[in-house]
Amino acid sequence: MEAEAAKAIGAGIACLGMGGAGIGLGHIFGNYLAGALRNPSAADGQFGRLIFGFAVTEALGIFSLLIALLLLFT
Amino acid sequence: MANDPIHQFHITKLVPIEIGGLDFSFTNSSLFMVATVAAAGAFLYMTTASRGLVPSRLQSITEMSYEFVASMLRDAAGSQGMRFFPLVFSLFMFVLVANLLGMFPYFFTVTSHIIVTFALALLVIGTVVVYGFWKHGLGFLKLFVPEGVPGVLIPLVVAIEVISFLSRPISLSVRLFANMLAGHITLKVFAGFVTSLSAMGVVGVAGAILPLLMTIALTGLEFLVAFLQAYVFAVLTCMYLNDALHPSH
Amino acid sequence: MADRSSGNGGGEPRGQADDDLARRRRDLDAAIAARRSEKVDEVAGADRGGKANWGHALRLSSEFISAIVVGAALGWFIDRGLGSSPWGLIGFLLLGFAAGVLNVMRATGQVAEFGRRTDRTED
Repeated sequence: MEAEAAKAIGAGIACLGMGGAGIGLGHIFGNYLAGALRNPSAADGQFGRLIFGFAVTEALGIFSLLIALLLLFT
Repeated sequence: MANDPIHQFHITKLVPIEIGGLDFSFTNSSLFMVATVAAAGAFLYMTTASRGLVPSRLQSITEMSYEFVASMLRDAAGSQGMRFFPLVFSLFMFVLVANLLGMFPYFFTVTSHIIVTFALALLVIGTVVVYGFWKHGLGFLKLFVPEGVPGVLIPLVVAIEVISFLSRPISLSVRLFANMLAGHITLKVFAGFVTSLSAMGVVGVAGAILPLLMTIALTGLEFLVAFLQAYVFAVLTCMYLNDALHPSH
Repeated sequence: MADRSSGNGGGEPRGQADDDLARRRRDLDAAIAARRSEKVDEVAGADRGGKANWGHALRLSSEFISAIVVGAALGWFIDRGLGSSPWGLIGFLLLGFAAGVLNVMRATGQVAEFGRRTDRTED
């Protein structure tokens, strides 16, 4: 039972990493929006890079989700 | 407890039926599904019964909903897609009327249970898979192999495409379910603030005005969400049917 | 157009007039097509600004998350079936993440729909 409790606590701590990914995503989308409002004509061309940045940032968040899932389900 | 926001989603057995150890009871959920079908059917039938050349107001509502779904389907799946019109129209009307009926106080919201929305999504995806295989045979599997991918990457890409395909019924059902559930819980919580604040005396009644205004605004938003979710469900159904009709271009 | 036909009218009456007529019809067709597409675009743009935009916004997050959930669930069941304990979950969660990004890109129109290339040919 002790080990189970430690696992659950560890999974909770691992989920904190996703908060960092959330901050990063906020930066990405916020800066994209700021840039898009300054120069709307260039916004559509940069959408692919927005998605790329989103994917790379979110991948790091997924790693911490992965650790949490591994702790909980294996 | 009167203010429990989850209480509105409880399923109660109205007529207990048990066949072979399985529970086939007629619950309040089933009652409202029957009511939804009856209301939608009766509305469509009665408004088109006279069939004036110049439509009356109610008849034009029916004609508008027909045109709305028909143009949506034709845009997404082409004119071949019109053979699925009965399916898409029934789904759209069922979800829309179920959402709208749920907005009545004390009524049960059918679409706030994930099993109902998941069954609807499975119906859509099942239609896509069965029709795709029936029409194109194994050629339907080309759906998972995009053209112009180097040979080494094909297993990886196919795995990703399969997961992407499998995620469709999940996202379709969870979206509808989560929106209805969250909306109704929010409404109930804000309405609960009004009653519990106004029980506190004069200051409470004055303070209860804010959550009351919030409840009114949220009710309007919920009507919008009820329509939007039915619309999104129908649009995505059309797009998925398009894959069954034209698996590869 | 009017001054051109009157100015060249003297040289070769028949052929010139036919040419001119054909050219004018082509011009007219092009003008009508330009007007029409403009109008259709305008209507579609107005529509997109309203309810369809809302629908899009509601779509994206659930598309992304559902792919990850499906990937993790698949990996978990494969692990349970084959006993390959953590690796199925790890691999399929990452594949699910890729599928989620693909879903988002499809929903925003960055990538063509299933099995379709960007330069779509008529079927």
